[in-house]
Amino acid sequence: MKHNLSVFLLTVLFFAAGSFPGCLALNIACAEAPAMSDGQGVVGDGRWVMGNGKSMDYALAKAPSAGADATVRGEEALPGRADDAFQDEYKDDENQDYDDEPFAEERVTIADPIEPFNRAMHRFNDRLYFWLLKPVARGYKAVVPEPARISVKNFYYHLLFPIRFVNCLLQADLTGAGSEAGRFAINTVWGIGGLLDPSSNRGIELQKQNTDFGQTLGLYGVGHGFYIVWPFLGPSSPRDSVDIAGEYVLDPLSYFTPWYTSLGKRPFKMINNASLSLGDYEAVIEAAIDPYIAIRNGYIQYRMKEVQTRRARSLFFRNWKSEATRAPAN
Amino acid sequence: MENRILKKRLAGCMLVMMLLMSVPAYAGAPMSAVESTVNRVLDVLRDPKMKGPAAKSLKTEKLRVIYKDMFDEMEFSRRTLTRNWNKFTPEQRREFVDLFEQVLEKTYLDRILEYSNEKIVFYKESMIADDKAEIQSRVITSSKEVPIYYRMILKNGKWKVYDVVVENVSLVQNYRTQFNEILAGGTPEQLLETLRKKVKTH
Repeated sequence: MKHNLSVFLLTVLFFAAGSFPGCLALNIACAEAPAMSDGQGVVGDGRWVMGNGKSMDYALAKAPSAGADATVRGEEALPGRADDAFQDEYKDDENQDYDDEPFAEERVTIADPIEPFNRAMHRFNDRLYFWLLKPVARGYKAVVPEPARISVKNFYYHLLFPIRFVNCLLQADLTGAGSEAGRFAINTVWGIGGLLDPSSNRGIELQKQNTDFGQTLGLYGVGHGFYIVWPFLGPSSPRDSVDIAGEYVLDPLSYFTPWYTSLGKRPFKMINNASLSLGDYEAVIEAAIDPYIAIRNGYIQYRMKEVQTRRARSLFFRNWKSEATRAPAN
Repeated sequence: MENRILKKRLAGCMLVMMLLMSVPAYAGAPMSAVESTVNRVLDVLRDPKMKGPAAKSLKTEKLRVIYKDMFDEMEFSRRTLTRNWNKFTPEQRREFVDLFEQVLEKTYLDRILEYSNEKIVFYKESMIADDKAEIQSRVITSSKEVPIYYRMILKNGKWKVYDVVVENVSLVQNYRTQFNEILAGGTPEQLLETLRKKVKTH
């Protein structure tokens, strides 16, 4: 008897807890709560009383069996609302700009004065990918097993350590610089010269610091300027193009090997990396309505976020952040 | 004796009721909403009974049901069009929402169907407003990690996804720029025509 009583109490408690969020969301449900004890009140996810103009037929279509009983009652609760509710969904938008959205800073734009040139380069890179890079990367993928390809990727990434280290320092991110230095030491010794990445393993977990010169300049408040699509290299801007030079100066291979090896190195790096991400570019192109604009916007959103996260880590520029992000909005 | 059996049954009924009743409580937590949906998707993809090309259409069908339950396509469409929404007639709006959904479905379903045991980790939920939340997740493949954030909105007691942020790129924002540019020089009808062609050529 006692046991049954406690089950009953628990039931009541859970029932109360269960319908509480529903009450908040639907605000009418609370008034209906006594009627719910017959076990029919809350249907599925509580879609049944529409507070903001969602239609009854819409709910019915989505939950045909369970919604039926509730629909009748819902209509009683909101007479006359159901008929025009479906139209309501497609009605004019009053909140046109969605200014309330908390991610308004993502609305970044970039000037594109040389759009015809950029579009031509975009077409060139697109064909380069589909006609040359993709078939070669596929063949390469068929011959070379995945762990080996990951090692090659790790190795190229490892080589560019000086760039990441210097930029961490320039960004006044000492933890980042320490982390990169640690990664370099560990991966050189235990990772067989950077072929493996033991630093990322559990226990050490030194995170990669993807820093570059364009990012550092962005952190200092330098804007993109305008959009450029480079042949072979893809989306960039005058600011971010600094890295083409930076990569040459700070890449150790460019000191120790004759210049023409760096010419051979880049295509191989491109093929290797492409073999590990086949399908990514295709997905972007296929999802896009205008691929050129989709990539341009993707690029600046990505870079903006990068600069933002790096700035938050910086010792000097952290407080400067709020001003810099507010300035363009006003 | 009979009384005891009756009581047991009553307790059983109540237990069932209790389980049924507590469902809306879970819908209150955006993270568990998106996580359970993703797990449902993974269940379909991992189902050993549905291997091979023959099962592809069946899988697609099952995934479509889950997708429709997870996304708020109306919110998504409105947010991508913003002030352009009012340039469309109600019929054009309806067609736009429908076509746009098909475009997204085609591209992302194909991509999801290629899934091969990547690990997905949900690690952070931030409430942005009373009715908005961002769920952060990571897809871990053998060669890289891709951060995917789901932005959710609470409507009628249910959390639904209205934007997906892949590698720091917000899809809503990305489409918004595209539509803005297309509609700056063209009419809603021209945009719809582009979408119609896009859906057909898939």
